[in-house]
Amino acid sequence: MSRWIAFFIAIALGAAAGMLYGWVFNPVEYVDTAPNSLRLDYKTDYVLMVAEAYTLDQDVNLAARRLASLGDVSVSAHMDEALAFAVQNNYPQPDLLLMRSLAEVLDSWNPNLDMPAP
Amino acid sequence: MKKKPEKRGNWYLLTGLILGVAFGLVYAWVVSPVQYVDAGPNSLREDFKDQYRLLVALAYLSDNNYVRAEARLKELKDPDIAQTLAMQAQRSLADGKTEMETRALSLLAVALGEGPTPVVTMPTATATVAPSPTSTPTPVVAEPTASPASVTEIATQAPRTLQPTATPLPSRTPTATPGDPFLLEEQSLVCDPALTASLIQIKVYDAAGQEVPGVEAIVNWDGGEEHFFTGLKPELGLGYADFVMNTGVTYVLRLADGGQPVPDLTPAECEGEAGTRYYGSWLLVFRASGR
Repeated sequence: MSRWIAFFIAIALGAAAGMLYGWVFNPVEYVDTAPNSLRLDYKTDYVLMVAEAYTLDQDVNLAARRLASLGDVSVSAHMDEALAFAVQNNYPQPDLLLMRSLAEVLDSWNPNLDMPAP
Repeated sequence: MKKKPEKRGNWYLLTGLILGVAFGLVYAWVVSPVQYVDAGPNSLREDFKDQYRLLVALAYLSDNNYVRAEARLKELKDPDIAQTLAMQAQRSLADGKTEMETRALSLLAVALGEGPTPVVTMPTATATVAPSPTSTPTPVVAEPTASPASVTEIATQAPRTLQPTATPLPSRTPTATPGDPFLLEEQSLVCDPALTASLIQIKVYDAAGQEVPGVEAIVNWDGGEEHFFTGLKPELGLGYADFVMNTGVTYVLRLADGGQPVPDLTPAECEGEAGTRYYGSWLLVFRASGR
């Protein structure tokens, strides 16, 4: 076996060992994540909490701001995704009602109307 | 003449291995790191954790579901969830956040300090909500950890915009009912050398002798005003609150729901066993008149 082949095999073995260490034994730890990295069930619970909070303050702008931290897609998309998950996983009816009522409010909400005048 | 073969050894293999490991680590950590797309709330950044706790508290205020609130908070893996909430409630008050947010945080902190109660009054249609499918709640009573000597109220000079908070909210804890003003029952100087600051300590009881959380106290002095609430330090009692006095300043304290103001509160000297002198604290005990 030529030296070059052995050399490249050593590189490949080293790379494999490095990736194994970096991905499995000591992967990058994300300790300061944003809500958009939450698992879907946590996201759904987050949306439910926003809906519950909305029943107290009736502030649709605040609810939309809270939902916006779930990611770049529109707040309606977050609501739809959470509602689909909640229905699929048999969330209690009162929870579904809360989420649906917030979804309806958000559907008719126009953020541009709430922007401060220049 | 025949050239003698060069003896290089196997160092090239080690070189290749090191290069490979370096490449592998760079690829695994930088180019294509592990993607956490299914993270739990415990991995959230601190400010998002605060927002999460606030939402849990507001949801609790809405549905009064203790088990669910506790299960949600446990996902954050805070070492002492009641204490963490109480501290956030204090920060919320100091930062001038809305009254509802502060009250929600403090009421949940108090509820967690108390533990679950079997009878819960559900004032809204959302009373039958159950924990989400991923929750496995097990009610646990948080243990008090702080000692009275280590607790001091964070007093800031910034004006507060909070509104009076005498109206009762749905709660598992006793709250004052309108029409039952709190009357000053006792005023005494507490000489405790373990206290590192001179405090105005208040304790608020209802007519039945139960401590009442969420009562707003207002302290005024020449050029300043501060608001604080009972129940933010559940380890010292649900009806307890305190405020740090500065020497040379005279304070007037009253509860937000009315009642007589308590004037002339200023750090008073106490004498220790060895003749040492230090500033004591004022303890004011209020009780609902029950009329």
